[in-house]
Amino acid sequence: MAEQWIWLVPLLPTLASAWILLGMLFGFNRGERGERQTALVIQTASLLSLLLLLALMFNAVPRQQLPGLIDITTWFSTGDYQIKLNFLLDGLALGLSLVVALVSLLSIRFSVNYMHREAGFQRFFAILGLFNGAMLLIVLAGNAMLTFIGWELAGVSSYLLIAYAYDRPNATENATRAFVTNRIGDTGFILAITFSFILLGNVDWPSINAGNENKAGFSLVIIMIGFLMAAMAKSALVPFSSWITRALEGPTPSSAVFYGSLMVHSGVYLIIRLQPLFEQSPFMMFILILIGALTAIYGFLGGLVQTDVKSSLMFSTTGQVGLMFISCGLGLFEIAAWHLGLHAIWRAYHFLNAPAMLHLMHKPARPVPAWLQNRKWLYLASVQRFWLDNLANAMLVRPALNMAHDVQRFDEQIVVRAVGLPNSVGAISSLAQWEEYKDDNTGKLIGDSGAIGRGRGALGNLMEWLASVFSWFEEHLVLKGGDEGVISLIQHAGHYLNRLEKLLSQPRYLFLMIILTFAVIL
Amino acid sequence: MQTENNSQPSVKDVRQQIRELIDHLAHILPGQAPIKDFVHHNTLHGFQHLPFPAALEAARKVTGIDGYLPENEFRKLYKQDRITRQDLLDVIRSDKNFADDEPVLTCQSKPITRAEIILTALINPITTVTGCQLTWQIEEQHALTRFQPDVSESSRKHFFSNMRQQVSSEASAITELWSACLRVLDLQHFVLHPEELVDLDPDDAEKMLSDSLHETIETGGEHVTRRMVLKEAEKLLSHTLGRVGPELTIRDVLHLLTGQDLLEEIRPALIRHLSAYLDQGMAAWHHPQRQLGFYASWKQSALQDMTWSLDNMSEITDELNHLPNDAFETVITELKLIGIPEKHWPQYLERLALELPGWSGMFLWRSQNPGYESLLPEHVDMMDYLAVRLILERLYARRICRDQWSIGPRLDLIRWYFRQHPYQFMVRYILHTSRLPEYLTSRAQSLVKQFNQEFDDDNQWQLLAQMIWTWRQSPASDNPVGHSVFGSAWRLFRLAQHMGLPAEVIATCNKSQVEDILNCLDALTEGVRGFIWLQAYENHYRDQLFNALVNNRGRGRWASREQRPQAQVVFCMDDREEGIRRHLEELNPAIETMGAAGFFGVAINWRGMDDEKITPLCPVVVTPAHEIREIPAAGEEQKKTAHDKRRQLRLKLSEVFYQETRRNLFTSSVLITSSAFVAMPVLLTKLFLPFTSGQISNWLLKSFDLNINSRIVINAQTNTEASIEHPRLGFTDEEQADRVQNFLRTIGLQQGLGSFVVMMGHGSISQNNPHLSAYDCGACSGRHGGPNARTFAAMANRPEVRKILKDRGIDIPKDTWVMGAEHNTCDETITWYDIDLIPDTLKPAFTKLQAELKQATKMSAHERSRRFASAPRKLSPARALRHVIGRSTDFSQARPELGHATNAAAFIGRRSISQGTFYDRRVFLISYDPTQDLEGKVLEAILLAAGPVGAGINLEYYFSTVNNDKYGCGSKVTHNVTGLFGVMEGTASDLRTGLPKQMIEIHEAMRLQIVVEASTEVLTTIYKRQAPLQELVGNGWLLLNAIDPDSGEITMFKPEQGFVKWEGEVSNLPEVASSTNWYAGHQTPLTPALIKQAEFANG
Repeated sequence: MAEQWIWLVPLLPTLASAWILLGMLFGFNRGERGERQTALVIQTASLLSLLLLLALMFNAVPRQQLPGLIDITTWFSTGDYQIKLNFLLDGLALGLSLVVALVSLLSIRFSVNYMHREAGFQRFFAILGLFNGAMLLIVLAGNAMLTFIGWELAGVSSYLLIAYAYDRPNATENATRAFVTNRIGDTGFILAITFSFILLGNVDWPSINAGNENKAGFSLVIIMIGFLMAAMAKSALVPFSSWITRALEGPTPSSAVFYGSLMVHSGVYLIIRLQPLFEQSPFMMFILILIGALTAIYGFLGGLVQTDVKSSLMFSTTGQVGLMFISCGLGLFEIAAWHLGLHAIWRAYHFLNAPAMLHLMHKPARPVPAWLQNRKWLYLASVQRFWLDNLANAMLVRPALNMAHDVQRFDEQIVVRAVGLPNSVGAISSLAQWEEYKDDNTGKLIGDSGAIGRGRGALGNLMEWLASVFSWFEEHLVLKGGDEGVISLIQHAGHYLNRLEKLLSQPRYLFLMIILTFAVIL
Repeated sequence: MQTENNSQPSVKDVRQQIRELIDHLAHILPGQAPIKDFVHHNTLHGFQHLPFPAALEAARKVTGIDGYLPENEFRKLYKQDRITRQDLLDVIRSDKNFADDEPVLTCQSKPITRAEIILTALINPITTVTGCQLTWQIEEQHALTRFQPDVSESSRKHFFSNMRQQVSSEASAITELWSACLRVLDLQHFVLHPEELVDLDPDDAEKMLSDSLHETIETGGEHVTRRMVLKEAEKLLSHTLGRVGPELTIRDVLHLLTGQDLLEEIRPALIRHLSAYLDQGMAAWHHPQRQLGFYASWKQSALQDMTWSLDNMSEITDELNHLPNDAFETVITELKLIGIPEKHWPQYLERLALELPGWSGMFLWRSQNPGYESLLPEHVDMMDYLAVRLILERLYARRICRDQWSIGPRLDLIRWYFRQHPYQFMVRYILHTSRLPEYLTSRAQSLVKQFNQEFDDDNQWQLLAQMIWTWRQSPASDNPVGHSVFGSAWRLFRLAQHMGLPAEVIATCNKSQVEDILNCLDALTEGVRGFIWLQAYENHYRDQLFNALVNNRGRGRWASREQRPQAQVVFCMDDREEGIRRHLEELNPAIETMGAAGFFGVAINWRGMDDEKITPLCPVVVTPAHEIREIPAAGEEQKKTAHDKRRQLRLKLSEVFYQETRRNLFTSSVLITSSAFVAMPVLLTKLFLPFTSGQISNWLLKSFDLNINSRIVINAQTNTEASIEHPRLGFTDEEQADRVQNFLRTIGLQQGLGSFVVMMGHGSISQNNPHLSAYDCGACSGRHGGPNARTFAAMANRPEVRKILKDRGIDIPKDTWVMGAEHNTCDETITWYDIDLIPDTLKPAFTKLQAELKQATKMSAHERSRRFASAPRKLSPARALRHVIGRSTDFSQARPELGHATNAAAFIGRRSISQGTFYDRRVFLISYDPTQDLEGKVLEAILLAAGPVGAGINLEYYFSTVNNDKYGCGSKVTHNVTGLFGVMEGTASDLRTGLPKQMIEIHEAMRLQIVVEASTEVLTTIYKRQAPLQELVGNGWLLLNAIDPDSGEITMFKPEQGFVKWEGEVSNLPEVASSTNWYAGHQTPLTPALIKQAEFANG
C-alpha cells in the first residue's frame, strides 16, 4: 500500500521549503542562527522522500510488478472531461525519481557548508526545496497537467536562483532571459494539454500515449509539436540553447543541480515519457534526430572554445542532451533513459567539482585536430555561440521591447490624456512660467483650465477633463478667431497621422498583424 | 581655456606619454598574478609612495573605492568596547587640526571643546539630509517633538540637566531647540512637499522668485529665470564635456545622458575573445591565428562576425577595414576619431583601463611577465588590449548616438548637438546624476525614453528644465551652497541633542561659534573619519599588546641559552604558527621554538620526483640560481619505474574523466555513463563522511602510487658559476655553509643547539578551492615550504659543511641532528623528511619529539576549532584534529581554514619577549637576537625581507576586508574559474581579484604593529639607510615600535617625531594554567593573557 503515499514524495521537500519561507517571514530562522534549523528541515525532508521512494522500489522490484498508474483523487471533473491527481509509477518514473531525489539530497548537503554565512542562506534552501519537489513531481506525475505544475515550479525556482545575487544586473538580466525563453516552451506545453483535453477528455500520460487511431492525425501532430517545443525550451536545444549558458550566475551547487544535472534533462524525460506517441510519427522522429544533431554539434563545438569552467561544462552537457534526443529519434528510448540518469549523476559530480578544476588539470586541454583548428569561421561561430543570442535579440527581444515602448507611448499620449491625469492640466509648475504669466499682464493664467475646478475620483476626473477640453476648444478655436487655431489643429493631426504611418510601416507591426491574423484563423 | 597651441605637445611626445602610461597602469590596476601563483601583496601597491591616509584618498579619487571600514562597522566595535571613547579622544587630540584646546562654547560654564564635538559626530551619524528626508523626519518620525531615537539615555538626562528653567515636556524642549537652531543660522523653514510645486501657489512662487533672484546679480530685464535656466544648462554642458578625458569616457557621457551602459554590451563581447586569448589551457580550441596577437586576431574575427549585422551595426565591417594593422596606430586613430583632446589621451586610456580593472590588470600582468608559462608563443601586448577596448567603445557608442540623435560618436558632435539643445542636456544629466522628486523623475524618464529625434519638441525639454530648476530653488530641494535647513540646521539640531545642549545654550551662540561648530563637522570628511576610527581601533589593540609585553618581561625562556634546550623547532614566521608553538612549549618546556621566513634562507628551483618542471621556492622578489632535485633513494629505482607508470596511469585516468568528459561528444557518453557508477558512491561518502572519504582516498592513493623513499640532490657536481640565467644543479660546500651560517646567524642560533633542530616548513591542502595558493607559504611564492626545510636540513647535517662552519666559528655539536618537516596548516599533519637518516643513538629522542609535536597539532586544531562555526562547541583535542582533517577533505567546505585572518602584529626579537603569553594566533613571530647583532646588520636584512612580506599579507587582508566587494573578490559561492588564471562571478563579469569573503569574515582590519627588540639607535640608522623601509614605515603602511633589549622600554615610531615613548596604562594580566583554560568556550577574539610557566630551570 506504500504506493498510496507517493504524493508525499514531491510534497515533503515542498513543505520543507514552505516552512523555511514561513520562518523567514516570521523570523524564526533568520540569520546565521537559523542556519542549523534550516539545514535540518530541508535535509530531513529530502532524505525522507528519498527513503519513501526506496521503500516503494524494494516493495515493487522483487515482485517484478510495478504499481503503474496510481489514482489518489479526482482533482477536477466536468462531464466528459476530468483531471485526476494521479501518479505514474513505471520503471522510467521510479528510476528517474530516484536519481532526482538522490542528486537533490546530495546538492542540498553540499550547500549546507558551502552557503554558510551567505545572506541568502534561507532563501537558497527554500528555493532548492521547491525545485526538488517540482522535479519529483515532473517525473512522477500521472498526467500532463500535474507534470506541467512541476514544470512551472521548476521554472520559477530556476528564475529565482539565477537571480540569487539580485544586486548584480547581469544576474537579474540573465534570469529574466531564461524565464522568458522558457515561456515559449510553456506555450507549447499548454497547447499540447489543451489539445489532449479536447481530443481525449483527459490528460493522463497513458491515454495521451494511446492516442487514438480514429482521431485526427493532425491534432496528434499538434500535441507532439507542443510537447516538443516545451522539451526543447527546457532542455535548451537549438535554437533555444543560449539561455542555459546565461543561467550560470547562481551559486555553484545550484548551477550544478539545475542546469548540469536535473532540470536540463526534463525535456528528454518528457520525450521518453511520450515514446508511444512519437513512435506513431516517423516524421516527428526525424525531427527529434535533426534537432538532437544540431544541438549535439552546437554543444560540442561551443564546448571546445569555452574558457571558463562552468560554461565549458554546460556546453558539454548540452551536447550530451542532444545525443539523448538523437537516441530517442532513433527509437532507442531505453538507452536515452539510461543515458539521462547516469549523465545526471556524473554531471552533478562534475559541476560540484568545478572550482577544483584549476587544480585537477595537470596539463592544458588536448588541442583539436589541425583540420578543425584552422577553420576560422567555424571557430568564430563557436565563440559567438552560433549567434543564437543575437538572433533571438533581433527576432524576438527587440520587437517585443519596441512594441512595449509603443504601447506605453499610446498609454501616455492618449489614455492618460483621455483619463485626465495631472499632466494634461496646464498649471504653473515653474518659476519661468510664473514670470511669464506676470509679464503677460493680462491677469490671466496661461492654460489655466486647471483652475476651473478640481475634481476627485473617476467622475471628478472625467468632469475635469471635459472642462479642460472645452476650455481648450473655446480658447483655441473660438477665442482666437478661427484661422490660426484651425491651422494648428490640422498641423497636429497631420503630425499624428505621420507618426501612425511610420509605426505601421515597421516590421514589428507587420509581425503583429500576421500573428493576429493567425490567431483569428485558428 | 588656455591657449591650445602652447599647451599642445607634439605628436611624438604623446606617443611617448602613452607608452609611459602603460607602465603607470601597473600602479593603479590590480597586480595579482594568475591565481595558481597567488601571492599576497599590498592591494594599493601603486600608492605606497604616499602616506597611508593620502594614498587612500588618492585611490578613492582614481577608482572611487573607499579604503576604510564602513563607519557603522566601527560603531559596532565601539559598542563592543573594542574601541573606547578614550581611544577616540586620544586620536582626535593628537591631530593637529583638532588639537585646539580653546573651547568652542561653554555650557553651564563647562567648556565644550572641538574634540568633543568631533567625538559626538563620530559616534553618532550626523549628516545632511535631503528636503524630502527632512519632511519625512518631521511628519512621520515626529522629529520636532521627540528626541532622535538614537540619542542615548545619558545624553537625554544631560540635556534636561543643562536647562536652567524647567520646560514642561520633551516636545516643547525639542521644538524650541529646532527653532533655536534655525534662528542662530538665520534660516526659516516651512514644510513643502515637492509635489506641491506642480501647481504653484502665486504667493509661494513670488517668494521663491524673489529669493532666487536675490542670490544673483542679474536682476532686471524680462524673463530672468528663463535666462538663468539656460545659463545653468550651458554651464552644465561645458563643464561635463570638459571632464571627458581626464575624468570621463564617452561611455560615461552616454550613460549620463541616456541611462544606457555601453559596457553591459561590450563586456560579454570583449570577455569571450579576451579570455580565449589569455587562456592557459581550459579550452581545446583557440583562435587559428592567436600568435598574431590580440588585436590582429580579434580584428580578423570581427571582420567575419555576424553580430554586427544582427545587432543593427552592419556598417562596422567597413569601419574595421579602414583601421590600421598596428595596435598603437589604431589607438591613436581611435582617440582622434572620438575627438579626445590630445593632452588628455593618456588619462583617457587610464579611465578606460579602469572600467574593467580585473581584466585590464591581468592583461597588463601578462604583458609585463612575458616568460610566464602559457600556450602563447608571442608576447602579450597591452596596446592590443587598449586598441580593442577603444574600438568597441566607439562602435557601440556609435549606435546609441545614431539612434538617439543621428550624430556620430564624436565628442565635438555631441557638444554641437547639445549646444543646440541645452535643455535636453540639462534634464538628461540631472535625471541620471542626482536624485529628483518623483514627479520630476517620472516626467524626465518618459521624455528620455520616448525621445525621438524626428518628433522632438524642444519646448517639453525646456519646460521640464525649468521645473527642475524651480524645484532646486524651492525649500523642498537640497540647496548645496551656503547654510541650509537640511544641511546646517539639521546637523546642529542633531548634534545638540547628542551633546545634551538645550535651546538656551544654542541660542546664546554667536555667528562665529556656529560657524566653528559646523566647520568641525565639515572637516570630518569620509576619509578623515575613517582614519580617526582606524587609529583608535589600532591603538586599542596596541595598548593591550604592549601591556602584555610589559607584563611578560623576564618571564620568557631562552633569552640566553645557558642551559641547552632539548630541541629547537624553527617554524615559519607565519601568524598561524603562533598557536602550535605555544602549545608545544606548554607540552615540553625544554623545547625552544623559533620563527623565520619559511624558505629558511635557501632559494631554490625545486624539482620533486614527480614534477615535470621546476618550481621556484623563495620570496617572489628573488630568482633562484640553484636547482634541487628529488630522486629515489638507493635501491628504490625499480619501484620508482613502477611508481611512474602507475602515477601516469592515474593522472591519465583523472584527465580522461575530468577533461575528456567535457571535451568530447561520443566518447564522453561512454565515459560518463560508466563513470557515473563510481561518481555516485564517491559523492555520497565525500558529502556524508568527509573524514572517512579523505582517509580512504589517501590510502588508495598511497597504495596505488607506491610510496617510495626519496633523497634530494644538494651537492653541485661542477664548480661553474651559478646564475639566474644558468641555474646550477646543487650547491657547492661553500655555498651550503654560507646559507646555513647566514640563517643560523639571522635567527640567533649560533650556540646552544639542541639535539634536534627541526626546520618546519608549511603549506595548506584543501579541496575545491581556487584560492589554494593564498593559504600557502608567502615566503615560498605561495607554495609549500617543505622542500626548503628538507634542503636546509640536508646541508646542515653534512660533515663537510659543519667543518667549514666550525672554521668560521659556528660549532654545531656532534649530537645535533637537523630535521626537515612540513606542517599542513589546514589539516595539521606534519610530514617528516629523511627520518631513516637519523643516527640510531638519536632515534628514541626523535620518537619522543615526534609524539610531542603530534600532540601539539591536536592542541592547535583544538584552538582553531573555537573559531569555526561548524565545529562542535565542546570537543576533545583528538576530535578537533578529526574535525580539521575532515574540513580539509570536505569539498563542500568554503572555509577549509581561516588563513591569516586576524593577523595584527609582528614581533622581531627573541622568543623570550613573547613566550608565556597568549596572543590568539594574531602575531607573526620572527626570531632575532639583538645581543648577537650589535651593529644591526642582521636586523636590517630581516626588516628588508619580513617588512614587505608582512605588509603584503596584512594589507591585502586589510583592503579585502574593508571593502570586500571592490578590493576583495566577493563570495566564493558564485565564483567561476576562468582560463585557469582567475575567477569571475557568473560567466561574464570582470575578473575578481583580492581575497574572497570567506577568507576575511573574521579578520580585524588594522595595520601591522611591528615590535622590534632592538635599541632605537640601531633602528634609526637602519631606517635612515633603507629607502624601502622609509616608504613602508614612514608612510604609515606598517607601524614600527621598539622594545629595548636591556630596559624593556617600549617606544613607538612616529614619522614626524621619531621614536616616542609609549605611555599607556600598565595593568595586570590574568594568568592561566594553560592556553586552553583561556580560550575554552570563547568564539570571539581574545585579549592577551599570561600562561603559567612550567617549573623549569630558566635557560
